[in-house]
This record gives sequence, C-alpha cells and structure tokens, in this order.
Amino acid sequence: MRTEEGLQAPEAPVALGASALRKEEGEAVGDDLYLLRLPYDSGVRLEIPTRLLFPAALPGPSSGPRMNLERVSNEEKLNLCRKYYLGGFALLPFLWLVNVLWFFREAFLAPAYEEQGQIKGYVWRSALGLVFWLVALTSWITVFQINRARWGALGDYLSFTIPLGIP
Amino acid sequence: MKGFVQKKGTRRSKRGSSRSSSLEEDEEEEELTLKYGAKHVIMLFVPVTLCMVVVVATIKSVRFYTEKNGQLIYTPFTEDTPSIGQRLLNSVLNTLIMISVIVVMTIFLVVLYKYRCYKFIHGWLILSSLMLLFLFTYIYLGEVLKTYNVAMDYPTLFLVIWNFGAVGMICIHWKGPLVLQQAYLIMISALMALVFIKYLPEWSAWVILGAISVYDLVAVLCPKGPLRMLVETAQERNEPIFPALIYSSAMVWTVGMAKVDTPTKGALPKDGEQDEDSSDPSGDHSYSETYDSPRCTPLHVPSYAVEELEEEEERGVKLGLGDFIFYSVLVGKAAATASGDWNTTLACFVAILIGLCLTLLLLAVFKKALPALPISITFGLIFYFSTDNLVRPFMDTLASHQLYI
Repeated sequence: MRTEEGLQAPEAPVALGASALRKEEGEAVGDDLYLLRLPYDSGVRLEIPTRLLFPAALPGPSSGPRMNLERVSNEEKLNLCRKYYLGGFALLPFLWLVNVLWFFREAFLAPAYEEQGQIKGYVWRSALGLVFWLVALTSWITVFQINRARWGALGDYLSFTIPLGIP
Repeated sequence: MKGFVQKKGTRRSKRGSSRSSSLEEDEEEEELTLKYGAKHVIMLFVPVTLCMVVVVATIKSVRFYTEKNGQLIYTPFTEDTPSIGQRLLNSVLNTLIMISVIVVMTIFLVVLYKYRCYKFIHGWLILSSLMLLFLFTYIYLGEVLKTYNVAMDYPTLFLVIWNFGAVGMICIHWKGPLVLQQAYLIMISALMALVFIKYLPEWSAWVILGAISVYDLVAVLCPKGPLRMLVETAQERNEPIFPALIYSSAMVWTVGMAKVDTPTKGALPKDGEQDEDSSDPSGDHSYSETYDSPRCTPLHVPSYAVEELEEEEERGVKLGLGDFIFYSVLVGKAAATASGDWNTTLACFVAILIGLCLTLLLLAVFKKALPALPISITFGLIFYFSTDNLVRPFMDTLASHQLYI
C-alpha cells in the first residue's frame, strides 16, 4: 500500500475490509492495485493491492465472507437482516425463520448498539410473518389431509403422492 | 493442502521465497499443526458421518434408490451380460468413459479458469446447484413420501421445495449462517451420492471408485495434473479460484492481518502479505468458504483436503464435496448390495474414517495439497471385499455352529 506525497493514512476508520468498502469508493489502477478514494478530501491517495481489499470484487463469484456475525460490522448486519426480511416476501417463510434464528441473539441479547433497534424490528416482523405462514400452512395441510378422499377428483388432482390402501 | 503461516511482514510460500523465517517458526508451526490436527480430524468426522448416515438410511428405507432403472449415458455398456468376462469388460469400458468425461470436464474447467472466463464458470455452477437443489430434491421427496405412504398435495410440495431450494442457493452462493451452509452441503452431497448409487451399475461402480482415486492422486500430485495447475494458477493470481464446492468446518479469523484468500478446490492460495500499515485491525475476514459450486453429474473435480494455518487460534479444515460424495457412494453401495448387511456397511464406514484420519495426518506433515480420495477409498474397497467375502461367511458359520469368539 502506498500513499502519495508521504502523507499518512488518516486515522478515520476507513475499514479496509470488504465489509466497508464498495467498488464505488475507488477505482482500479492497473491490474492489481486499487486506488482508494477517501470519504473526505485529504489529498491522500491510497493505493492498495486489490487482493487485500476486495476478495469479493475479484473476478470470481462473490463470496459470502462472514458467517460469523461477530466479525461483521453493525451496518453489514443490518443490511443482511434487512435483505433476509425482504427476501422472505417471495413466499419464503423459511428465510424468515433463518432470519429470526440467526439474528435473535444480535437483536435481543447483545449489548445495545446503534443499529440494534432496526434489527429488532426486522426480527419481529420476520417472526410475525413466520407465524402467519405457519398458521396458514397448518390449516391448509389439515384441511387437505382430512378431506382429500372426500374431494374425489379434485383431491387426486391436487395430490402429488396418493397413498395406497383404503383411505 | 497448503499451510502458510501468516506472520507479519513475512511470506512463506511453496517457492520458498523467504527462507529467512527461521527454523523456529517451522517447529512452532509443526507443533501448532499437530496440535490442531486432531481437532480438525474430529471436525471433519461429523459431516462425513452425517452424509453417510443420510445416504445409508435412505438406501435402506427407500427402495427407489436400489432399483435398477436404466443407466446414465456416461455408462452406456450394460452389465446384463451372460458371461462374467463380458461383464467385467463392460464395466471397465464404462469406467473408461466415465473417467474420460471427468478428465475432460476438469481440463475444460482449468482452461476456462486460465483464460479468466469467470462468468461462464459461475453460471455453470449456479445451474448445477439449481439442478441439485430443486430437481433432485423433488425426486427424493417424492420417493420418500411414496415409501412412507403419505399423501402430499402440490401446493405444499411446491412451497417446501421452493423454500428449501431458494434458501439453499442463498446460503451457498451468497451469505448465510455457517451451520446452515454446512447442512446444505451435506444434503446435496448425499443427494448426489444417491443418484450415483442408483444409476451406476454394480461392477462399474466399484471400478469407477478405484479409478477415480487413482485419477485424484494423479491430478493433484503430478506437476502437470489439472487440479495442480488450477491451484497453482490461482496462487499466482492470488485470487479465489471459483465457487468450488468445499466444505469448511470452521471459520478462520485473521485479526489485524492480511485477508485470507478464499480457498479453492482444496488449495489455499494463502495470501501471506501483510497489510504493512495494519492501521486497520478490523480486517475482519472470518472467511469461510461459501464457495460452493454445485457439481453437476459430469463435473467431478475430485478434491482434496486442505488445512489452513493462521496465526490465530481458530483454523478451518476444508474438504471438497467430491470427497463426501464418493465416500458416501462407497458406503451406500456397501449398504445396498452387501450380503453381510450391517457388518459390511460398518466396516466400510470405519475404513473411510481411518483413511480420512491418515489423509489429514499426511496433510499436517506435508502441508501441501493432498488428494483425499485414494487412501480412504482404497481402505474402503479392501474392507468391503474382504468383509463381504471372508468375514461374513466366517461369522455366519460361527453363528450357525454356536461358537462365540
């Protein structure tokens, strides 16, 4: 990593991790160097070897780097929680379940931090959606199992597997 | 497997660029390695066992996977022949075809990687995982429901499969909880193994298992082997190879150090360079490999076990999913076809675990990419044939004569 004009890298937490930086915050100069644009104009040019910064931005698939939530910045956690929440609307109650289980500790048991309030909100809403889906699914399954034989042709049409033997 | 010790400012690579890192580091590293080796062995036992348990349970209960229902196009020769010689010949031919398909696929992959066609590879892998997660799960679910004589309606089925598949894609290719990702990897390995068990004819399966261990050995250890070239290219470029299917048992922390390159098909192109500035301790790259590329039937990049060394305490061990698949195929086949029933299955299971232990031990000693298949499969095959043909009749005779030893 080189800085121009001998200026020191600023103290500000420019987190040099893929979690904090996005592609828009800099530009690639050459194949393996990345010019980091700092959020404020300090006249510093930080050229950093790409591979140190953007494992996810390197050619190749984007990795899911941080499964360990402890190592993830709060902002990132919020982002993840929100994405999971929004994703659940695509008929994915399982995603909501994962959201609740994964972020439960973050939202309710961890010491308070800035984004925790929002994360809590998302977890609550995911849980709500999950309960709704569970109720709906359970009632449908119950209705179907009880009435399948009685429905005759409709029951067969709806069935994926039809059990053998006398209903 | 490659182990690189991450020390500040120094880089130790296979090319021995800075031998200045003294012998003490070497010894320290050895100690650390061996100390953690045992823990990692156990960490890999659990998923391998789980996968095998799932496969064996399915084989024993769901008849579908043991019924002969046609063969894949990769094994065109039938084994329904009148004479034994003919059957043997057919199975050898089947094996040749299968292995050449695999070799071609691997070389194709290496070429694609060399010429940086990442999008193509990425797309291919996504397609494969889609197929595995949706199609095979659909079939599997259907068969299990039929076996247990349970009625299931289309709407519920659609919902279940859609949820399973979509969350699987998210976990594997994007971000998700590690445990869930591991679970999904185990499940898709089991599904893949079941497909193999169903569609590979008897003798061909055994010959293929043997041949693929040999291929694995060659591909990983020979200088011109495709897998080795893949690994070396990735190392040169210092980048993650491609979303390979790799199971990782733990996460690796790099505190205040350079980022860990994501592991590839076993090789860890560990980037040893430090961020000299280290002004940012939040170089939080608790990397776990979410590089899982679904492996489609033809694509068999046999993988090898990998071990990562970090300065931190936590280290991960990685094993490619191809290994999971073939271990499970071996044990599943033993469960499906052995006349000795559980004896043989258990013997094969133990053999594979012993092989895995030895492989990991060698990994700790050699610290370079090693194929995980040969030792385990060899032991497995030996145990299978000897148990089936020697131990079982022996036990039967003993039991019938009421002799307990």
